[in-house]
Amino acid sequence: MSGENALNLPEDLKARALQNARQATPAEALAPLRADALAALEAAAFPGRKTEAWKYTSLYALTDGHLAARAEGAAPADLPVLSEYRLVIVNGRLDETHTALPEGVTLGRAARHLDGLTTPFAFYNGAALDDAVTLEVAANADVAAPVQVLHVAAGDAPSHCNVRLEVNLGSGSRLTLIEQYLARGPVLTNAVTAIRAADNAHLTHYRLQADGGDSLHIGTLLLQQTGVSRIDSYQLMAGNRLRRNDVRAFLDKSGAELNMHGVFVARERSHIDNQLCVEHRVPDCTSNQVYRGLAGEKGRAVLNGRIHIHPGAKGTLAELSNKNLLLNAGAEIDTKPELEIYNDDVKCAHGATVGQLDAMQQFYLQSRGISAAEAKRMLSLGFVNELIMGLPDQAVADWAQPWIAAELGERPVADGEAA
Amino acid sequence: MLEIRDLHASVAGQPILKGLNLTVKPGEVHAIMGPNGSGKSTLANVLAGRDNYEITGGEALFDGKSLADMEPEDRARLGLFLAFQYPVEIPGVSNMEFLKAALEATRAAQGKEEWDSVTLLRKAREACKQVDLDAQFLKRGVNEGFSGGEKKRNEIMQMMLMEPKLALLDETDSGLDIDALQTVAKGVNSLRSPERGIVLVTHYQRLLDYIVPDYVHVLSGGKIIKSGGKELALELEQHGYGWLTGGQNGGNDKEDQTA
Repeated sequence: MSGENALNLPEDLKARALQNARQATPAEALAPLRADALAALEAAAFPGRKTEAWKYTSLYALTDGHLAARAEGAAPADLPVLSEYRLVIVNGRLDETHTALPEGVTLGRAARHLDGLTTPFAFYNGAALDDAVTLEVAANADVAAPVQVLHVAAGDAPSHCNVRLEVNLGSGSRLTLIEQYLARGPVLTNAVTAIRAADNAHLTHYRLQADGGDSLHIGTLLLQQTGVSRIDSYQLMAGNRLRRNDVRAFLDKSGAELNMHGVFVARERSHIDNQLCVEHRVPDCTSNQVYRGLAGEKGRAVLNGRIHIHPGAKGTLAELSNKNLLLNAGAEIDTKPELEIYNDDVKCAHGATVGQLDAMQQFYLQSRGISAAEAKRMLSLGFVNELIMGLPDQAVADWAQPWIAAELGERPVADGEAA
Repeated sequence: MLEIRDLHASVAGQPILKGLNLTVKPGEVHAIMGPNGSGKSTLANVLAGRDNYEITGGEALFDGKSLADMEPEDRARLGLFLAFQYPVEIPGVSNMEFLKAALEATRAAQGKEEWDSVTLLRKAREACKQVDLDAQFLKRGVNEGFSGGEKKRNEIMQMMLMEPKLALLDETDSGLDIDALQTVAKGVNSLRSPERGIVLVTHYQRLLDYIVPDYVHVLSGGKIIKSGGKELALELEQHGYGWLTGGQNGGNDKEDQTA
């Protein structure tokens, strides 16, 4: 569908998505999901320029025709290994040769249509899925070693893949999940991850998205705390041609606690859009969100942090902090906390800032002999370091430190622009 | 080592220094005193190369090289050190990481041998001990959450490690209690050497009870209006700045707000 008219992009994307979905021949286990998702897709509209939730993210890049072809490239040989237990999913299909899971975690290949999903891309994901991975964590299983799920997408030409991961934590279970996305080439990864936590479950979750360059990512992370559970989620994200993350969390049982920490970096001409939505639907739940963003050169980053406190959700504690740093004049960051509170008995705090490097801090470092470029790098790193240093798993921290150092390294200054 | 001739400088376009002359030779300790707004901190910041502190006339030479168009880091690499009046807090950058970067850059430029991380840590701990700063402060963010006194000690600690040729101390005594003042003075005195010049910028005489200067200069209206030996400081203490400037205090608070 290259050469497509961008003015009709939402309609064209929908037509293509429907066509793909109707031609899909899913495994039997995925047939119910496909039927439900297809119905949702048929009723949905793809976002256009005037769709509020997509105000800062254009889908124009998809006129290259990503939806017209499936990604079929080979996975790179040197895949990162962050745990002895891991799953490798290549272009949406599980590569069984790598599978290793710890005791207490069972692999399944089915998935369900979920009410919390809202975007047409998530519906398309369910309607055209080739494969799905479900991890069931047995009740009271205390899984010590992390489980790494590596989503690889590869292709030489514009193409896409649908990846889906569902993780269900049984009551009293404990798991560390490292979700890592790795794309090579002009491939769109259309991802859905859905996590459900029962009573007394504790999940430490990482979402590592360092696949930059010409790849694209549109994904939804759905967190459903159906039990008195705790989820600590750490999200590290580099901008790429188009990165859009919808995170939707449902705190559905009194006493549930959600902590989300994120670092996002948009350099060069990359783009990253974070749409966060935390739903407090019952009394006495806690959510705490801390996100730090950086943009440099012509990079653009977006964060919309919605906290929705329902009428019955008394005793809610909810916090959102998003501080951002612009490294130069050509970069752009748009951030907006969005609070909807429907009862009086809540403690809710939010703050969003966008600033530049502090001239006094820079002078202080330079006055000690440190070059201007190095001072800038140190200050940028200092801005996100608290979150990077706070990563509880050593394997992830060891991966994250060189990643952030490289992201914050010196870049050539874009044309006609002062640093 | 430092040769300032008829120096004119402005801060954000406003003239502050108006024809200042000063010569500092190796081994000398000079005190620059003066009322608020006389240009003391401006002089320190101009010499260190702070943005918006611009030399508009005359010259300032450090080891024969003009400072006018030199980047702050190049001045530091030549051996110039400014102890800040208000040290800056840098959360997220640890003191140790900061010292490592600073010492790597300056020692390499000065042809001194590189310190490996073990040596650096040992030296840094020693320096902390000398200024009564707990070594835990090395792990914390630069000046992050430090008290006023801890920040000043941290400046002196850095100075001891960097072994500058010329140390400028901008109101290092301000905000210090008497114990901290003595500790800081002890640190500065330990750096007195025939190769090193020290310039103390201060409003009060009391620092000079502990660091005895060779020369005292009174700065007023952007110029040095009187120079003398250490006894000049005592006279100032007795008579106040009005004795020299002709006014009650002569000057205003403008400088300290911008500095």
